[in-house]
Amino acid sequence: MAIENKKGWISWFNPIKYGFDRWLFAMHRFTGIVIGLYLMAHVFETSNILRGPLTWNNVMVFLDWPFGIHFGPYILSALLLVVVFHALNGLRLTIVENGLMLVRPYRPEYPYKPKSLAGWNFALKIVLGILMIVISVFGIVYIFTGVIL
Amino acid sequence: MELVLKGFGEVVKTVTFRVRRYDPEKKEMPKYMEYKVPVQRGMTVLDGVLYIKEHLDPSLAARYSCRMGICGSCAMIINGKERLACQTQILELNKDLIKVDPLGNYDTVKDLVPDLNKLFKNHESVKPYIVREEAEPYGEYIQLPEEREKYALFTECIMCGACLSACPTMATDDLYLGPQALAQAYRYIADSRDAGFNERLNLLDSKHGVWRCHFAGACSEVCPKGVDPALAIQLLRGVLSKNVFIKYKQNPAKLGPERASIKEVL
Ligand code: SF4
Ligand code: FES
Repeated sequence: MAIENKKGWISWFNPIKYGFDRWLFAMHRFTGIVIGLYLMAHVFETSNILRGPLTWNNVMVFLDWPFGIHFGPYILSALLLVVVFHALNGLRLTIVENGLMLVRPYRPEYPYKPKSLAGWNFALKIVLGILMIVISVFGIVYIFTGVIL
Repeated sequence: MELVLKGFGEVVKTVTFRVRRYDPEKKEMPKYMEYKVPVQRGMTVLDGVLYIKEHLDPSLAARYSCRMGICGSCAMIINGKERLACQTQILELNKDLIKVDPLGNYDTVKDLVPDLNKLFKNHESVKPYIVREEAEPYGEYIQLPEEREKYALFTECIMCGACLSACPTMATDDLYLGPQALAQAYRYIADSRDAGFNERLNLLDSKHGVWRCHFAGACSEVCPKGVDPALAIQLLRGVLSKNVFIKYKQNPAKLGPERASIKEVL
């Protein structure tokens, strides 16, 4: 029997009220889907080189100046943020999902804040968050100005 | 002696309950109905639901039993989060509109009553009991207090089913075991008296087993008893991934002295 009250995939993107890790989950899903779609588009984009140098140059110019607006760097910056988030959060998940850097089982005490999401796991989130900001700043400056800081 | 409680029975404010009504026997879509409930100090959401049942609409169905957070019957989605209705103070929510839904990811029996069969079936499938090779013992297995600490946290579960409703994997995967069952699997695997790791392994190490968890932490966030099922799942995964390289060995605890009294009972 189908589950009548099933929340469905749309609920992945509704982290409200469930805490920080649930937000990370929603963003991880979202960025994962974006990266998947991007990879397909990327293969299609680069396949244009088979149609000769002229088409290739046209495609490159169109992607940098879509419809006459210099929008390319913004797309690249957004993509960079997406990839950096997914990579760093994925690194954290690889660690904690193998039972490493987590607390030992403890005695629950009111108001029952889950400690698995705190402690080293939380420190990891902070460190990787800072790393994400640093990488993004370097990357975005490079994308817009071509200068390596 | 006459007991006078200050402010007792005094109506503090009136809140609106928006309750999801659904009866599978009538071929109607679920709908929301609103009720005005006068709130006294100390009134829980469950009291509010019962007030509606007694005074406004007797056809409203809800499940409850202990009213003190022990039985795990009354879990509902209250203002978008899974909570025990009997443990949620209306005044603490601090809202004029209280939205009450039955638990998600389950069939609904009627109105606020979810069909928890799935929870119990999954729980049963991970063998939530001590598995031993030898026959029924006539005494206790010896366990140290430190050994008990390794799983004591996860024995706290009252099987309310809130975690399955909050779990984003459960939202799209019917066959997933769910945080409750996986936490209980770890509770028995980490128990020094148990010898059933290999019996449970096939089920846990399957497509719908531990690897489906993505550590969103929602289960731990909503658990009314602080069981932290997410922690159990990650630790279980640690055991399973180490098991790939070095076979996980359980050293089942030794049997204590035989007891004549147990022999008599059995
Ligand atoms: S783990 Fe917590 S939320 Fe899940 S069934 Fe047990 S008590 Fe309820
Ligand atoms: S009625 Fe028993 S837990 Fe709420």
